[in-house]
Amino acid sequence: MANTKKYWSGLDELDGTDAFQEIQSKEFQEQIPVDKFLADEKLNSTTTGRRDFLKFMGFSLTAATLAACETPVIKSIPYTNKPAEITPGVANYYASSYYDGMDYANILVKTREGRPIFVKGNAATGIGAGKANARVIGSVMELYDKARLEGPTKKGEATTWSDLDTAVSESINGNGRAVVLSNTIVSPSTRKAIESLGVEHIQYDAISYRALREAQAASFGVNAVPHYDFSKAKVVVSIAADFLNSWLTSTQFAPDYASLRNPNGGSQSKHFQFESVMSMTGTNADVRTMISPSEEGKVAAGILAVLKGGAVSNLDAKLSSRVKAAANALSGSKGESLLIAGTNDLSTQTIVAAINQLLGNYGTTIDLERPSQAFRGDESAATQLIADMNSGKVSTLITYGCNPSYDMPNAQAFNSGLAKVSTSVSMNGVADETASRSTFVAPDHHYLESWNDLSLRAGRIDLVQPTIEPLFNTRAAQESFLVWSSAENSDWYTFLRSQYNGAYTSDALYSDSDWNSAIHDGNMVGNNLSESPNYTASIETSLAERKVSKVKGGDMELVTYVKATAGAGQHAANPFLQETPDPVSKVTWDNYVTMSKSDMVALGLNTYIAQEDLATVVKVTVGDKQIELPAYMQPGQKPGTIGIALGYGRGSNGENIGQAAYQTGEKGQHLMLDSGLPMPIGVNAFPLTSNSEGNTIYASYDVNIEATDREYPLACTQIHNTYMGRDSVVRETSFDSYLAEADKPKGKASWNMAHALNVHDDTNHDGVIDARDKENTSEFDLWHSHPVKDVGHRWGMTIDLTTCTGCSACVTACSIENNVSVVGKDEVLRHRDMHWIRIDRYYASDYSLEKGEDEGVGVISSYGLMEDPAENPQTVHMPMMCQHCNHAPCETVCPVAATTHSNEGLNQMTYNRCIGTRYCANNCPYKVRRFNWFNYKGHSKFENVNPAHDSLARLVLNPDVTVRARGVMEKCSMCVQRIQSGKLEAKKAGTAINDGEVVTACAEACPSNAIAFGDLNDTGSQVRAISENNRSYHALEEIGVQPNVFYMTKVRNVDSNEA
Amino acid sequence: MYSIDMKKPMNSRLIRVQHLALAICTVLFFQVSGVGAQSIWEAGDPISGQTLFNTNCASCHKITDEVLVGPGLLGIQDRWGSSDEMLVQWIQNPQEAHESGDKYIKGLVDRYVGTYGWMTAQAVSKEEIGDIMAYVSNPPEVLGATADASADCPTLDYDKVEESESGNAIWFLILFVLFITIALGASGVKRSLTDVLAEKNGEALLPDSSYMQRLGGWIWNNLVFVSLLGVFFVLYLVVAGYSALMDIGLYADYSPDQPIEFIHSVHVCENEIDCKYCHHSAYESKHAGIPSANVCMNCHKAIKKGKISGTAEIEKIYAAIGFDSNSGTYIDGEGEIGNLLPQDSYDGEPIKWNKVHNLPDHVFFSHQQHVTVGGLQCQNCHGDVSTYSVGRIAPVEEINELVDAFPGLIQLSKPTLTMGWCLECHNKAEVDLTSNGYYEELHERLNDSERGNEELRRYLEDDKITVRELGGWECSKCHY
Repeated sequence: MANTKKYWSGLDELDGTDAFQEIQSKEFQEQIPVDKFLADEKLNSTTTGRRDFLKFMGFSLTAATLAACETPVIKSIPYTNKPAEITPGVANYYASSYYDGMDYANILVKTREGRPIFVKGNAATGIGAGKANARVIGSVMELYDKARLEGPTKKGEATTWSDLDTAVSESINGNGRAVVLSNTIVSPSTRKAIESLGVEHIQYDAISYRALREAQAASFGVNAVPHYDFSKAKVVVSIAADFLNSWLTSTQFAPDYASLRNPNGGSQSKHFQFESVMSMTGTNADVRTMISPSEEGKVAAGILAVLKGGAVSNLDAKLSSRVKAAANALSGSKGESLLIAGTNDLSTQTIVAAINQLLGNYGTTIDLERPSQAFRGDESAATQLIADMNSGKVSTLITYGCNPSYDMPNAQAFNSGLAKVSTSVSMNGVADETASRSTFVAPDHHYLESWNDLSLRAGRIDLVQPTIEPLFNTRAAQESFLVWSSAENSDWYTFLRSQYNGAYTSDALYSDSDWNSAIHDGNMVGNNLSESPNYTASIETSLAERKVSKVKGGDMELVTYVKATAGAGQHAANPFLQETPDPVSKVTWDNYVTMSKSDMVALGLNTYIAQEDLATVVKVTVGDKQIELPAYMQPGQKPGTIGIALGYGRGSNGENIGQAAYQTGEKGQHLMLDSGLPMPIGVNAFPLTSNSEGNTIYASYDVNIEATDREYPLACTQIHNTYMGRDSVVRETSFDSYLAEADKPKGKASWNMAHALNVHDDTNHDGVIDARDKENTSEFDLWHSHPVKDVGHRWGMTIDLTTCTGCSACVTACSIENNVSVVGKDEVLRHRDMHWIRIDRYYASDYSLEKGEDEGVGVISSYGLMEDPAENPQTVHMPMMCQHCNHAPCETVCPVAATTHSNEGLNQMTYNRCIGTRYCANNCPYKVRRFNWFNYKGHSKFENVNPAHDSLARLVLNPDVTVRARGVMEKCSMCVQRIQSGKLEAKKAGTAINDGEVVTACAEACPSNAIAFGDLNDTGSQVRAISENNRSYHALEEIGVQPNVFYMTKVRNVDSNEA
Repeated sequence: MYSIDMKKPMNSRLIRVQHLALAICTVLFFQVSGVGAQSIWEAGDPISGQTLFNTNCASCHKITDEVLVGPGLLGIQDRWGSSDEMLVQWIQNPQEAHESGDKYIKGLVDRYVGTYGWMTAQAVSKEEIGDIMAYVSNPPEVLGATADASADCPTLDYDKVEESESGNAIWFLILFVLFITIALGASGVKRSLTDVLAEKNGEALLPDSSYMQRLGGWIWNNLVFVSLLGVFFVLYLVVAGYSALMDIGLYADYSPDQPIEFIHSVHVCENEIDCKYCHHSAYESKHAGIPSANVCMNCHKAIKKGKISGTAEIEKIYAAIGFDSNSGTYIDGEGEIGNLLPQDSYDGEPIKWNKVHNLPDHVFFSHQQHVTVGGLQCQNCHGDVSTYSVGRIAPVEEINELVDAFPGLIQLSKPTLTMGWCLECHNKAEVDLTSNGYYEELHERLNDSERGNEELRRYLEDDKITVRELGGWECSKCHY
């Protein structure tokens, strides 16, 4: 039983730091800055007297009154020639697909009056569960970036397409060597368009998996990344592979993984994670073990040794036992398990392949017959290309879909080589690092403006279709290739379409109606444009084992990783994603060095970060490369290792990659470096990666780290909104404890007891009134009951803490759906982030009373040990939004009745009534109400971060949701606009609302289906069933506010004494 | 601005009832006489035919001899010179029917297509065509009266120069200044005369004082009168100020000038075009919408001259969409003439209408909820549009008077387009819980004694459920 476990919102809470204590004692964390205001020297020199002040007041009042009298004349401009499929006010959805060299997803694009405003996973016809992640959902914002190039350029000056085409064609057809450098192209037709140029084509990936591919090639004769099926993997062992977030095409893995995590059916998969940085995947592991990056190969070798009946060598005792446990779990689940490794080291990947082969996973959980077509980049070819460029052997270089000047380990060499290429063409949509250094930029369409076909695996083609006319004078890159190759027909759509004509595919597979239905569904099957290889296994691991055993770790090792928000740099200028807190560290708008507490203390760094407590900047030296970044204490970080996120420091040379990609100061202005260039967000860590045996290596086994005397503010939401030690927020148990009481009714199981209060009544009928006389909290009503039970609708939500991975897709989806203001780093620092849904991340101690009993430690000492900071804590992610309490404390204190309860169980917020007293936020036990401190859409402080400011980015706003004004409260509305439109659709159809027809943005986005939404009064609804499940409970049940949001007890697949 | 003769149109509801009666008689006649032959002219249902005709055909065809856009359909059953199948094909796909080489069709094409263009293919089934023909071939007797109904449509007197209130105010001001001048002059004369008299009598002259001083003296001498006057003046200001403040944000009778002088009465009353022909999105979207120019062109491709303003206003549509009225064809982006359909490439200046019914940004009002689901009549909020020139906001009193002409209108008292007006209606309007599966389900939940809530069951006491009882007064129904 694990319910004596304690939770902390962070080590700050656990250690009871001064900053935390101070914050805890306050309802509002920020002081009204009276002192600061009075200390303003200009205040004394002001000439405005009392009378002037009154005059101003009088004038303003009169002016405002007069202005209100004027009838505003509003223009209404209908279409001149209305497209048949558009009805103003009605959204259209188009199936499309997303691929950016890293993420791959089948999506549905919501458009209003012809402009895309929302992207979600295509659950109907998508691969797997058809889910998207935060990066894909946020990508719609990038369409409306005003930094996008408005047309082709030559040396930074605007030019015409025909001039560009002439120059580029001449150069390609000249005598010199021409090369196309791109990311991995998974589009069969794009590959053909590039082939039509007749020049060399080199692919590389910003995040490379070459070793994984090479290992398959060496072992099975197939040089491809296999497809992994997590929906069959009952045991998952991951060696530093962040497969829920960034490893391979993770959008497919998260739903599959989650499908085996729900314990309701009596089974639950088991997940071991060995890693150095606390990754998002690591926070979800049942058993997480800290290792150094240099030990990754040894762990793999150890597992292989155990499986072969040997012993683990080269690792310490504790680690060895964990390796052994993992190996035993794997061997107990042959053919239904997965071992994966994140490293790009060939030896380790070879051992991993051997283990999976030994376990019989190939053919079950690992598919090499229809492997993934992604990540086929070859950085060794790219390295050779750089050498050739530098020696002047390349005369034309076309870069497409990649940014080598930024994300190559040897970007400097690339840049010097690029300068020697006489005609360099970039096809990037913004003048980024590579484009601004190229002679020509032939800007490609944004993916929401283009046609394309994508084939991630053989047998299925996913289609990309335009959802808006191109905003600028851009041209599909494929069309550029066709034009430059002097193809007879250079129209890209015709070219693409002809690939699927009877004339092309000999079996006349695709008629127009087939094509149209394929466009409708977003994909087509049957067209086998990718090979299905046969493979045979012949695995030789002895060399690999020898190699990994020789790896020596240094005193300090470095791991680079990819965050759930910024990706590998593609989304640097995306304000929605930059402001979505990292799922683990909860830091926004920055990257940093993650370190263990012991290392930080040893270096004398600031461990606790708050608004006034800045992070210490440290200098990280890897070989001859140095970068300086603030240090951030990350529980779960292996001592002796540090982690740095890739994808930051974009536009460090002043390139115009988007205004949100640069740091803003207190007044919203861009901060400047000493060099006069705008200060990028974070620092680029790609230079710290290196190349070894032809593979890019993302770790470094020997780094030096030293403190500097600089300090830097990190905008972290970690210690915001504490629960003041009330432990009834998170409930967790182990899988065996759950099974033992799985049949008990709700409220009776030891891991989810209904909360009871002592009463002065003989409730247990023992004849005495004493402390044992208790009554459930639900029996007490301080307020009049709100009559929503069983009548009409009662909208409710259930959140399963077991399957929630903390990925934050819900946060991004909610922000875009509900026009949630982006406030920028400075305001997040002041705790004024506006997110309607946040994910509270709690760390737990790994000690419990039971464990103390087993070890013979006294109760008091056990409590002491439980308070001992966990070096490697267990983590719980808990999405928290307005709980829509039926006894809402906020409603009773509003002096103007701006927040009221609806008869459908919603806690309504009426902005135009709100006068901003903030009583409601004060009285909210969940701290989910957000106050509009500023006019975010108009105040100059936010012009560089808030999309509502410029006329282009504003197009992303949802017209069905009010853009809130200054001085009003706001909070989760349970997407009431979707409820209203869902009800209307049902009324029009004349049927009751079917379960699942009305769904909130967060529930829809959730890759692991942890969030469900529906009508609690509908006896057949999913939420009704879940709310009656014995795992469900209310957060802070003891205060009796009767929320309409239910949480489900987290079940972790560990033995109870492990938990 | 035109002034509108607000003569009430003939009771068109009555006409409809007569139509209905006639149609029912027709049906009964067919059933009784047992005419069951499956000819397209005989088997249809004229009642649904009338609806279909009004929706699909009425904008181009009349049931008279008159050629509107297409030929008048009176007597079509006698003159149709081809097979039933060909009629169906002709309506469903005119070009295809033409290609079939049918002689009669060819004659039709020769006669009309050159002048009026191709008929738009109609999405109606064979059965529906039967219904339409049943209606057309048995034109209601009262049709003549309907045609004359245009005489009952409001006469918009366009020659009459607008006599605004501000004109009166100017006269009033001039008179007031004259009065003051005369009063001051008279006072001066009186003073001079007094002075002369005094001089003659050897009395002291009046002190040389300014008008203000003398006014002050007069006030002092007539304190009670002036005080009373003052009190009344202050009261007047208070009352006037209060009512002025109460008028802020009220837009009754608001009728801004429009870029095109669109006359609703001509289209709605005289030509009997259904509201949803132009404002079709009221039925499928939250916006009623302003029709796009290509919708205007459905008729105005042929009707090039208006009854009142001649070609001036209609030309504005042509300018926007790129239509050459001489050749009767569209212009493309290159300026080439001869296209049969509007060209997207034509870069015309769109028509910038002035929005009449403005709601604040935080109000989410859905037309389809009220029209499609709630079955509300357009007139309940917009008044009798068939009497309007350009769009305007009907004052609530005017709407209330329409209740005889449009039975079922909900009478309200609060000013139009205010929140009080919305809420008043939500309080009065009943919801039919039995005819829609959605409401039935909710009703069941309320009635279910096992589950239903006592507190809410009082809603059932008066045997009706109003919008308010279903939550129509709750903030987030309209504000989110």
